[in-house]
Amino acid sequence: MAALTLAVPSKGRLKENVDAFFADAGAALGHSARGYRATLAGFPDIEVMLLSASEIAASLIAGDVHLGITGHDLLLEQAPELSGRVHLVKPLGFGHADVVVAVPSFWIDVATMADLDDVCAAFAQKHRRRLRVATKYIQLTRSHFAQLGISDYRIVESAGATEAAPAAGTAEVIVDITSTGSTLKANGLKVLDDGVILKSEAQLAAALRADWTEDARKAVANLLDRLGARDRARNSQVLRVRLDKNADAILARLAEEAGASLMSRPADSSGEYVILCPRPRLMQAIASLRAAGCDAPATTQDADYVFDTQNPLYAALSAALG
Amino acid sequence: MTAFPYYDTPALAALETQAQKLLASFATRGYTREEPSILQPADIFLDRSGEEIRRRTFTLTDPSGRELCLRPDLTIPICRMVVESKTPLPARLCYHGLAFRQQPNSPDAPTQFHQAGAELLGLADAAAGDSEIASLAIDAVRATGIADFDVTVGDLAFFGALIDALEIPAHWRARLKRHFWRAGYFEELLQRLTRGSAPEQKSLLTALSGQSLADARRLVEERLAAAGLTPQGVRTLDEVVERLVEQAADEDASHLDEPIVRVITGLLDVSGPARDALEQIRALTAKAKIDLDAPLAAMARRLDTIEALGVAPERITFAAHFGRNMEYYTGFVFELRARNGEVIAGGGRYDTLLEAIGAGHPIPAVGVAFWTETMLAAGGA
Repeated sequence: MAALTLAVPSKGRLKENVDAFFADAGAALGHSARGYRATLAGFPDIEVMLLSASEIAASLIAGDVHLGITGHDLLLEQAPELSGRVHLVKPLGFGHADVVVAVPSFWIDVATMADLDDVCAAFAQKHRRRLRVATKYIQLTRSHFAQLGISDYRIVESAGATEAAPAAGTAEVIVDITSTGSTLKANGLKVLDDGVILKSEAQLAAALRADWTEDARKAVANLLDRLGARDRARNSQVLRVRLDKNADAILARLAEEAGASLMSRPADSSGEYVILCPRPRLMQAIASLRAAGCDAPATTQDADYVFDTQNPLYAALSAALG
Repeated sequence: MTAFPYYDTPALAALETQAQKLLASFATRGYTREEPSILQPADIFLDRSGEEIRRRTFTLTDPSGRELCLRPDLTIPICRMVVESKTPLPARLCYHGLAFRQQPNSPDAPTQFHQAGAELLGLADAAAGDSEIASLAIDAVRATGIADFDVTVGDLAFFGALIDALEIPAHWRARLKRHFWRAGYFEELLQRLTRGSAPEQKSLLTALSGQSLADARRLVEERLAAAGLTPQGVRTLDEVVERLVEQAADEDASHLDEPIVRVITGLLDVSGPARDALEQIRALTAKAKIDLDAPLAAMARRLDTIEALGVAPERITFAAHFGRNMEYYTGFVFELRARNGEVIAGGGRYDTLLEAIGAGHPIPAVGVAFWTETMLAAGGA
């Protein structure tokens, strides 16, 4: 039996992104003939389950899987209070979308949530019923509106095509997810200036209520070590250079001015120092080298992985698990 | 506690004995018992209660798609029955039955409980109505054997009268009153009105300033046409125009002054032994030259009533902010607490509810509800 279960999206854009993410980390997802199971290359003790994004959120909250990848929006919608249930291990940089409050564009008197609040009251008085908000994000809507003190409204649950609700006359306002806003615009809707409830993206998350055996912890430590090493490699370049004199002073200067850190010293004076430099600050590092009087040629390389003695992703998870 | 209470023989007997005592006590004042069905159309609860009650209401859908709910209280369905059947007023009605609430934040709290209560609907003399319901509540609690309780009173009319007395634009008044219920947001709103808000629509509002509604409408239509926007949905173009014109009128209005804010927050802070608290309000508003004599006199009369029933003055607390979190109350509010601190009865005046559910005109209403299981736990029979 596998030590750890990881749930990943079974279809759509999110699945493609997740496949690419693991392939990039050298742990390709292998889809087996059995449709709802997969393997993770190099991690035989991890069993991968293919589920829908909202099932993954529910499984994480219930603790039915150890790890999962799903939208932050879905996690918060299903468990407004994530602490104690779900630990966000790492935002993945894809699946970006905002949960927003949108109103008909012709409401040129409404630009902010405070305006909407005003309109809610006037609408209730005039029409003898509450203004309707169509959404599938019932919890997020409720808590956001409550935070702002807005209560003269009513939620209408929407299963799909929420953006069409105002035109169809089934709601006046919507709370929905949008990545570019073009669907909203096409439906004659606009996002309120302060109407962004949540900036969501895909998250690698851990279920705190899952059964975290010794083997499960080992498996997740390995996986996070690999993901962290790949991240570090992506964000850095390996710089090699000879430092004939004042090596320590130059290294200190590189650390201060470019955030670079020493990886290894040469065995003898003719060898090169190996330095890890944040990728966006490489040119600063070169400038610092030259300013410090180093005139040796420097070369850089991309690394596949940069394994550190530290495993901060696992350390944070371990702390959350207690 | 459990989410799904089971009533064993002694528990049932205790509840029934208590119910008889409560209902008999209501009957001596001429209140007759009625009961709405447990399953109710959801609309009226969802439209009339805030999202907070909605969050706690069990809803379901029947095969035809109609949304139903388990009654979260009995007051609203009783009021609806009175409105629909055009019951002669004033009406004195009482009830005893199950009510159902979801407990999203406390999974072990009971999802159903027995609620008893009395509603006095359509009595024009508000002072007499307040006094009658407060007396009924105290008598009924005593009838079940609870002699030791504290009373908290408040009156939302203080706040309304204070806001009405302030020299501020009408729609600020409406907003302050509307947000009185939500303490945190209200303070924020006060601050915003003090600072003055940055108008998002400055140029449009300036253009609309001083225009007639018809001219304003033409101007707005031009703007919409230029931007390629067309009206959709239930909220009409006229509603947009009306609100813009209202805002344009406010543009010139002054900001809320610091001294006014201090009076508002000062009033809300008043809390303590009831008679002393009224003196504090008198001092506070006299200094600001604001006349709250009417609500002060009304509260003093209610205290007379409660004290005349033998409640010691030191057991009566007045809190100006009391009732802030209970959305449908409009005036006098009160609460009885057992010695263990638990609320055993609570009620007040709700003069806008019947109109809101279709009466067509305002009907004065005041009532009280009893938390029967809590009363049993507090030693009542």
